Amino acid sequence: MINRVFCLAFLVGLVSGVVSAQSFEPEVRRLVQGTCVRCHGVGTVTPLSFEGLGYDLTDHETFQTWEKVYERLVRGEMPPPAAPQPDPGAVEMVLGSLKRALVAANLAARGEQRTSLRRLTRLEYGYTVADLLLVDTAVGTELAQGLPAEADSGGFDTVAANQSMSPLHVKSYLAAADLALDAAIAVGPPPPTERHTIDYAQSQYLYGISAAKALGLGIVKPLDDAFVAFFDFGSTYTFHSLSEGFGVPYPGRYRVVVEAYPYQADTPVSFTMHRGRLSGVAASLDSLIGSFDLVRDAPRTVEVTPFLRPGELIGLSVADLDIPVVTDWRPPGDPSLGYGGMKDFPGEGVAFKSMTIEGPLLEMWPPRSTRELLMGVEFDEDGEMRLTKDPYAHVSDIVDRFATRAFRRPLEGGELEAYASLAHPLLDEGRPFFEAVRVSLRGILSAPPFLYHTGAPGTLDDFGLATRLSYFLWRSMPDAELFDLAGVGRLSEPTVLAGQVDRMLDDIRSERFVQDFAGQAFRLYELGATAPDPTLYPEFDGRLGQAIEEETELFLAELIATNHGVGRLIDADFTFLNRRLAEHYGVEDVEGQQMRKVTLPADSPRGGLLTQASILKITANGTTTSPIPRGNFVLANLLGQPAPPPPPGIGTIEPDTRGTTTIRELPPCDRSARIRLGVIRPDRRFPNTLSGLRWYGDVWRFRGPPAVP
Amino acid sequence: MTFPVDRRTFLRASGVALALPLLESMQPTLARAAAASPKRMVNICSTLGLYAGSWFPTAAGPGYEATEYLALIDGHRDRYTLFSGFAHQEQSGRQPHNSEITWLTAARRPGMDGFRNTISVDQIVSNHLGYVTRFPSVVLATVTPQSQSFTRSGAMVPAETSAAQLFRKMFLQGTPEEVAREAQSLNDGGSILDRLKSQTTSLRRHVSAGDQQKLDAYFDAVRTAEEDLAEVKAWQQRPKPVVDATLPTDIPNPADLIGRVKAMFHMIPLILETDSSRVISMMIQDHGVVPQVPGVTSDQHSLSHHGQDDAKIAQLKKVEVEIVTAFNDLLTQLRERSDTNGSLLDQTTVLFGSNLGNANAHTATDLPILVAGGGFSHGQHIVHEGDNAPLCNLFVTMLQDMGVEADTFGQSTGALTWG
Repeated sequence: MINRVFCLAFLVGLVSGVVSAQSFEPEVRRLVQGTCVRCHGVGTVTPLSFEGLGYDLTDHETFQTWEKVYERLVRGEMPPPAAPQPDPGAVEMVLGSLKRALVAANLAARGEQRTSLRRLTRLEYGYTVADLLLVDTAVGTELAQGLPAEADSGGFDTVAANQSMSPLHVKSYLAAADLALDAAIAVGPPPPTERHTIDYAQSQYLYGISAAKALGLGIVKPLDDAFVAFFDFGSTYTFHSLSEGFGVPYPGRYRVVVEAYPYQADTPVSFTMHRGRLSGVAASLDSLIGSFDLVRDAPRTVEVTPFLRPGELIGLSVADLDIPVVTDWRPPGDPSLGYGGMKDFPGEGVAFKSMTIEGPLLEMWPPRSTRELLMGVEFDEDGEMRLTKDPYAHVSDIVDRFATRAFRRPLEGGELEAYASLAHPLLDEGRPFFEAVRVSLRGILSAPPFLYHTGAPGTLDDFGLATRLSYFLWRSMPDAELFDLAGVGRLSEPTVLAGQVDRMLDDIRSERFVQDFAGQAFRLYELGATAPDPTLYPEFDGRLGQAIEEETELFLAELIATNHGVGRLIDADFTFLNRRLAEHYGVEDVEGQQMRKVTLPADSPRGGLLTQASILKITANGTTTSPIPRGNFVLANLLGQPAPPPPPGIGTIEPDTRGTTTIRELPPCDRSARIRLGVIRPDRRFPNTLSGLRWYGDVWRFRGPPAVP
Repeated sequence: MTFPVDRRTFLRASGVALALPLLESMQPTLARAAAASPKRMVNICSTLGLYAGSWFPTAAGPGYEATEYLALIDGHRDRYTLFSGFAHQEQSGRQPHNSEITWLTAARRPGMDGFRNTISVDQIVSNHLGYVTRFPSVVLATVTPQSQSFTRSGAMVPAETSAAQLFRKMFLQGTPEEVAREAQSLNDGGSILDRLKSQTTSLRRHVSAGDQQKLDAYFDAVRTAEEDLAEVKAWQQRPKPVVDATLPTDIPNPADLIGRVKAMFHMIPLILETDSSRVISMMIQDHGVVPQVPGVTSDQHSLSHHGQDDAKIAQLKKVEVEIVTAFNDLLTQLRERSDTNGSLLDQTTVLFGSNLGNANAHTATDLPILVAGGGFSHGQHIVHEGDNAPLCNLFVTMLQDMGVEADTFGQSTGALTWG
């Protein structure tokens, strides 16, 4: 809230001239005594009482209370319509002087300080480690999962005031640094790059399944050049790579090529590729790598390069298959059916021809991460380290280079020595060079200049600017270009700065900003929090879940890229769809599983954030919908004016779905329901939005004005 | 932690490596002197509530008639006390399920603007006892690392979700190489933290006055972490206790909610019996998948929003019956197993319940709360007036029972006594 008041003040040019924090007292007191104390005085039941509320804005609580008073007043929420109204001119004047006083007090409290010392969030830590050590982003993300979760403080996790620091954090940073260095430093002989081809037509394993008479088996059908899958179930043990003898030996990127074609399919069908692990006899296919459409009998070859870890496997499954209504065919689960269960099955299927897995894909050996980190050290053909000078000098060079990048600024007096000397006792003891230098690197990765945005008070220097900029738009450290511009002191030149912002927005890393911003501002991080009730909404699956998240992210990225006005956010004639989501929305002629920009038909009920499935999902609980959370989303997440908490002692609405169709049809005697609705109702700026949002069901089907359950 | 006899000194002097019984003089000085056996605390929360119609009995006092769920644990009636009418104040948060992060902390308005969680009751005890056991506290969950345990600065202590991983940490000796590597890592960690401390002065020059506090928090954290590492190192040099149990197999399928609950419940008596920790908190979570319980076709969260639909309530009850049955098995195990001081249940205060009183409406009042064991007087249904009596009063009693000199906790108005 402080920021909002401040920004407002900044925009209208009120920052100049310091106003005495006390000067608002006389004007405000008149209004308060005349209008407010009736309900907000001694012995009244409202939580706010002006009796005993001081005028000293240097007191944090007093400041916060007056700030709240300002907000309720400026929004016209107070005094309530039923109460006697003060003269509008007087209110205007009070608002003016209160705002000036609040801004002045806020600026005075900040002093020389710009923003509070903030640390990298868990997400930023992951990206930063990946960019700093040149390891795969997948590694960074995994490491970040080991850090304490950011506290749910109701605001962005980048706000320093809400960030916590604990011994748990410190221990986690030490552990994460250890794992990061394990991933970055690979010496010794290179892991062999292997190519493993599965020719499904030759698979004895699948043949065994197709011929099996036992319950639940016999679900695949052999062809001359492939095996056909007809169902998603069973895919945990049919087409995955481990059942054909391939498990991942070394961590890294692998090239996976799959050949498949549609079988007996009249409509588009698709297959999915998953990362998983074997658990018992079946594989968990827990992470979706991709989904691929097969159309018009055409064979298709798909190539992806996922990051895989030892013990993982690649699994294939099918989706979008129409299951025919057949009367003379019994499912293969019936043991009496016996051999060749799927032989005459007339349904749509996917024929898998082959899967080829090649990797780990090595650009060079030792990997670039190792060579960059240990710059100056040489490696022989077997990847063994060879020092070219005194080990103490090597440590100094490595620490100098690494700490400069990690701290995002040139080192200061004593820093090099402080971190380099961490390795000295180990070198003195004659321990291996590699072990010794690790201690220094681990220290740097646990140090405040790495973990926090530090910088002397006063004007931000160019290195500080580079850091702020890159964490804003990339959620990670500055790259070499930003760093170099800061080094020559040119980054703060307006034209250079503007050029850099454009460059950064065009960079693929700006997706991180969009994702993290949408995740927090529009709560997309909560998308997985509830699952639609599968009996009510069988159409929901993981692929739809992925598509709805991407829709919103691509939509926001497009608004930024094309510099659309903010109004587009809720009123747009385009969105991003793939076939799966288009079918869900009832939009025609969208083929394939890749997301693309689609112009919506003029009569489409979709368009803009509020009608996107993602937002409708996070504002529903998976079973029932209510306009209240959706209205609250509009208030809190779009307008930035969250509804005040309900008065104490007010219960929530007890959902009763037996025969009730909408929340307005709940028993009218339900007092708490009316009060809760009342919390929303005073804001009359979007009555149509509110009632209209009822028309979108729990899995965000548009069900139209005559609401049906 | 101050020891009358330094534990490491004692260990060096003893010269042998074995699971040492705790000597009276090694007990934490602040612990109740009279306590002959260590006090333990176990907190278990089923985060989607317990269907009130099947939980709360109508009558107060000792002679209440067991309801559908209570019948499942009725064999232990003389070992637990049932409470109704408990709540924390101001639990409507940003998200309707936010009260699950404040069940053990009682912080107000979870997740709302500027919210910062406060220390959870288990972590107060954990800080108080320190490394008197190998693990000052153990935090468990069924699927994700989300927990209800929070440090003093409001950081969530991540939960262990793998029973096998927990078993390895507790009871399996690593290979000599692993042990050596871990020791080296602890050593290095110690010297790194020591060095970071020495950077204090130079760093202070670079931050404004308002940020000194932030740096203080960091250096406090570093100091405590350094002390902890020293304790961990001392424990690392002692062999782990040997238990009469084999390495559990993890249940990879998140839909097997009950299997996962049971796997963790099996670990709890082992942890207590070996005195590996005296403070355990466990969170039974909504998985967003359909639990593998016969007759259940929807996920637990959807079922909890039953909207008074009888068919849904029937399914919900099937899931909750399984959870309460598993809890009954835990109570039986704790009661039957004993160490030199007698039955584990009598030495362990077990808190069981939920952060939601009515999950259908997300209300966080009139919570289902039960306290078993711990040597309290049991067998009654204690009914509080209304639905909003401070649960924190019970927490104060539990803290005091664990030897923490606390008169208040969270929203408490005093300590709770009953008998």
